[in-house]
Amino acid sequence: MAKNLPSTGIVSWLTTVDHKRIGILYGVTALFFLLFGGAEAIFMRTQLALPNNTFLDAGTYNGLVTLHGTTMIFLFVMPLSAAFFNYLTPLMIGAPDVAFPRMNALSYWIFLFGGLLLNFSFVVGLLPDGGWFNYANLTGPKYSPSHAIDFWVLGVQVVGLASLIAAINFFVTIMNMRCKGMTLLKMPIFIWTTLVTQVLLILALPVITVALMMMTFDRSFGTGFFDPGAGGQVIMWQHLFWIFGHPEVYILILPAMGIVSEILPTFSRKPLFGYSVMVYSSCAIGFLGFAVWAHHMFTTGLGPWAQALFSAATMLIAVPTGVKIFNWVSTLWGGHIRFTTPMLFALSFIAMFTLGGLSGIMHSSPPIDYQHQDTYFVVAHFHYVLYGGAVMALFGGIFYWFPKITGRYMDEGMGKLQFWMYMIGFNLTFFPMHFLGLQGMPRRIFTYASDQGWNLWNLVASAGAYITAAGGVLFFINIFYSLKWGKKAPHDCWDGRTLEWTLSSPPPEYNFAVDPEVKALDDWWLRKWDKDGKRLHPEVQPEIDPSTKHLPNPSFWPMILAFGILLLACGPFFNAKGIALSLVGVLVMLIATYGWSFEEA
Amino acid sequence: MKNSGVFRSRGVSWLMHKLCFTLGSMLVTASAFGGNKAFDDGDYTVKATLSSPMNTIAGLTEWAQSINHVYGITSIVLVLVFFAVSIPLIYAIYKFRVSEDEDLINKKPPKQVHGNVVLEFAWTIVPVILLLFIAIPTWEGIFSRPVKPPEGALKIKVIGHQWWWEFQYPELGITTANEVHLPENTPVFFELSSADVIHSFWIPQFGGKKDVLPGADAVNQMFFTTPKLANPEKAGGEYYQGQCVELCGLSHALMRFEAVLHSKQEFDSWAKVHNQPPVIASELEKKGELLFAQCQVCHTISGTPSEDLEKQMLAMDPPAPKQGPNLTSFGDRRTLGAGTRKNTYENFAKWVREPQSIKQGATMTAFNLSDDDMQAIAAYLRFSTAKNY
Repeated sequence: MAKNLPSTGIVSWLTTVDHKRIGILYGVTALFFLLFGGAEAIFMRTQLALPNNTFLDAGTYNGLVTLHGTTMIFLFVMPLSAAFFNYLTPLMIGAPDVAFPRMNALSYWIFLFGGLLLNFSFVVGLLPDGGWFNYANLTGPKYSPSHAIDFWVLGVQVVGLASLIAAINFFVTIMNMRCKGMTLLKMPIFIWTTLVTQVLLILALPVITVALMMMTFDRSFGTGFFDPGAGGQVIMWQHLFWIFGHPEVYILILPAMGIVSEILPTFSRKPLFGYSVMVYSSCAIGFLGFAVWAHHMFTTGLGPWAQALFSAATMLIAVPTGVKIFNWVSTLWGGHIRFTTPMLFALSFIAMFTLGGLSGIMHSSPPIDYQHQDTYFVVAHFHYVLYGGAVMALFGGIFYWFPKITGRYMDEGMGKLQFWMYMIGFNLTFFPMHFLGLQGMPRRIFTYASDQGWNLWNLVASAGAYITAAGGVLFFINIFYSLKWGKKAPHDCWDGRTLEWTLSSPPPEYNFAVDPEVKALDDWWLRKWDKDGKRLHPEVQPEIDPSTKHLPNPSFWPMILAFGILLLACGPFFNAKGIALSLVGVLVMLIATYGWSFEEA
Repeated sequence: MKNSGVFRSRGVSWLMHKLCFTLGSMLVTASAFGGNKAFDDGDYTVKATLSSPMNTIAGLTEWAQSINHVYGITSIVLVLVFFAVSIPLIYAIYKFRVSEDEDLINKKPPKQVHGNVVLEFAWTIVPVILLLFIAIPTWEGIFSRPVKPPEGALKIKVIGHQWWWEFQYPELGITTANEVHLPENTPVFFELSSADVIHSFWIPQFGGKKDVLPGADAVNQMFFTTPKLANPEKAGGEYYQGQCVELCGLSHALMRFEAVLHSKQEFDSWAKVHNQPPVIASELEKKGELLFAQCQVCHTISGTPSEDLEKQMLAMDPPAPKQGPNLTSFGDRRTLGAGTRKNTYENFAKWVREPQSIKQGATMTAFNLSDDDMQAIAAYLRFSTAKNY
C-alpha cells in the first residue's frame, strides 16, 4: 500500500517517515503540551499568590503539581530535544535520513499516544497526584485506590518506550551514517551531546521501565514490591526512580548545552573554544550522572559513607560543568558578538545555568541538604537549571533553526520582547523562591498560613509567572506571524558553520543532492573564508529532481503498531478484565509488525 | 497553660540573609493581602521579611548551627565563583559586541582561537581546589553526627499519620499528638516511623529533616541537644514550628506540629501531671464526659474508660490501634487539626461538625451535634483535660 500514499495533506503527515517531518511533528506536539504544562504552572502560582487561598482545592493542586512536572519533563523538554535530534542529526552529519526511518515514526506515535494517555486523566477527572517522582507507598493501591496514578504510571511507561526506541535509532545513525571525512572528533558539538544523551537514555530508561512495571504489578495484580505490609520496601522505589531520574536531568540539559554550543560560535564568528575538552566534559557529565542518584535521598536515612561518597561524586560533576561554562565565555572572548534573538537566549542560558549549578553544589552537601531538601530552595535550583538553562536554550534553538525549517526568519522584534519578558518573569518567579526555601517553605503544599513570612515572595513569584505567560503567548503569535509574513531565509541564513547551512531553507526531501565530504570541524565555515580572512563563495548544495533519489516509503504501520502499544498499556485500567484489552493490543502489534515486515521500505 | 511562646530569630549574619533582608525591605510588604482563610494564624512573632517560624538559617541547636556553618562557607565559595563567571561574561558581552546592522558577511572574521591548554587546565584544577573547601566541612558535618543515641537521651517515638503527628514517650508512659514537649538543653532521641505513607519530620530551627518511613525495618533516628530557653523567666514554654516535608497525600500541606520547649522543672511537672484523669468541674463538663463515649473508638484520654478500650484493642489479633490522636492533653494544646487552627470553641465546633471543610480527606467522623451537646463536649475536652503544671 505504501507506494500509493500521497506526499502532501494530512495522510502524508500520518504516514511520513521523513526525519524532518517527524522532527516538526515532535516540535509541534511538544509546544502543544507546553500549553498544558504552562497553564498548570499558572494555576498553581495563582493559588499560591496569597496565603490561605481557596482558588484550588488540595486534590486539584496535588494533581497539577504532578502533571506540571511530568508534562514539562516528559512531554515538553524531552520531545522538543527529540525534535532537534530528528531534524538536525542527518543534516549535520550529511546523511539522507536516520538509520531506521519507520522506527523513527514509531517513536513519535508512541510518544504522542503516551502523552495523550497521561492527559486523558483530565478528561475523566482523575489527576495523578503522587508527584512527578510518584513515591511509593503513597501511590500504591492502598493509599491511591482510584485509577489516577495509573494514568501516570502507564503514560510515562509508554512515553519512555518511545524515547528508548528513538535513542537506539539516533545512536546507530550517528555511529554509522556520518558523511565522508566526518570522524568522531569532527562532528558538530550538538551531535556529540546528542550522542551522549542517547547513551544515557539507553542505559537509564530500562531502569524506570522495570520500576514502572513493578508499580503496575503492585497496583493491578496485588504484588508487594513497594508495600511494607507485604514485605516490600518503599525506599527501593526511590533508588530505582533516581537511578533513572538523575541521568534524566542530564538527558534534559545535554541537548541544550549542545544547542548553545552551536549558537555561540555562529554569533561570535569564532569556533567553539576547547571543542575536544567540551566533548570530554559531556562524556564525563554523562558518566558521573550515573553515580550520584542518592543525593536525592540524603534525608531518607542513608549511612554516613553513602552520604559522603554520593556527595563527593555530585561535587565532581561541577568540574566538567564548570569547564564548559568557562569555555563558553572564552568562545565569546574576542569575537564579533551579534545580539540576535537566538544569541540572547544562548547568553541567558550561560548566566541562568550558572546560578542553578551553584545552588546545586549547595545541595551536594548533605548537611545543607538536610535543611534545603523538599523546600522551595530546591524548586528555585532546578528551575534555574531546567528552565533558565534547558528551556531558554531550546527557545534559542527554535529561533536559530526556524528559518532553516520553514524558510522564514522568526520576527526579531517580537523575539527580543519575548526574551526580555521571559528573563524578567523567570527571575521574578524563581529568584524569590531561594528566599522562600531559606524561610522553610515546603514544596508541594497547596496552601500556607499568613503568619509564615512567605506572603511577599509568593506574590512576587506569581507576578513573574504572569509576565512569563504573556511572553509565551507572544512566542506563539510570533510563530504564526512568521510562518506567513516572516523575512525569507536563504541557505546560509545566519552565516553558520555546519552542514545544514549548505542546504536550501527548507531543505529538500532528499537532503543532500551531492554526498557531502568534510575535511575538518566547522568545514562549511572554513570553505567560506580563506586563511587570510578573505571571503570565498563556496557552492551550496544543488537541487535535483527528487525522483532520482531513493527515499524510504511512507507507511501507516508505525502508527498502527503504536496504537497497539497504547491498547496494551490501557489494559491495567480494567484490572483482570483488562487482560482482554491488552491481548487485543498485542494482536494489533503483531498484525502491524507483520505488515511492516513485508512492506517495501 | 499560656500561649505566650515566641519564635526566636537569633542574630544571623549570613550573606544571603542580609541580601534578602535588604531586598525585602526595599519592597513594600504585601502581607496586607488577605484571601479567604483556610486556617487561622498562630501568634508567632514575624519581624523581618525573611523571618519565619520555619527559618532554616537561624539554627538554635548545635546541630542546626553546624549546618548553618557549612552553608555559610559554601555560600562564600559559591559567591566567589559566581563573580569569577559573571564578570568575564558581562565584560565579554559588552566589549566584543558589534552592531546588528554591520555587514559581517564581508568583514574579516576575528582570530579563530580553538582553545588554550593552559587556561583549560587551570579551570579544571581550580574548581577541584575550591570544591575541597566545601567538601571538607561537608564530610566533617556528616561524620561528626552521632550514629547512636547519646547516653541518657530522652527517647521520643514519632509516628507519622495522614495528616497528623503522634508522639510517644516510652520512658514516661505518655502519648500525645501534634505538640511535642521537650526539656531545654537536653539530649533527645527521636525514633521515626510511619503508620501509613512516607512523611518527613522537620523542626527547621532545631536542625535538618529526616524521612519518616513505613515498615518495621525502616525506622529512622534523629538526635540533637535541645537549645536553652530564650527567656527562662517566662512560664508556659516556647513554641517552635515543625511541618511534614514529604508529599504524603491530599492534605500534606496541613500537617504541621509544634515543639514546646520547657525548663527542666517545668518539663518534669508536665510529665508528672500529663496522664492524670480529666477534672470534671461543672455539669456541662460532666455531660461532655458522657458524650465522649462516642469518640473513644478512635480517641483515648488517659485515666478514662477510653484507655481500657485502647488496651483491649491493642491486645486483639491483629492489634487494632486507635485511628485518631490521643486527646489526653487536648485542653493544653494551642492548635487543633495538626497545627492548622487555633484551639478555640468556634474552630473546635467546626472541626467536629465538618472536619472535611478544614482538612480534606481527614478520617475524623463528622458529628452533627446540637449546640448544647457541642458546648458540653467542647467544655470537657478543652477545659477538663487541661492540666496545671
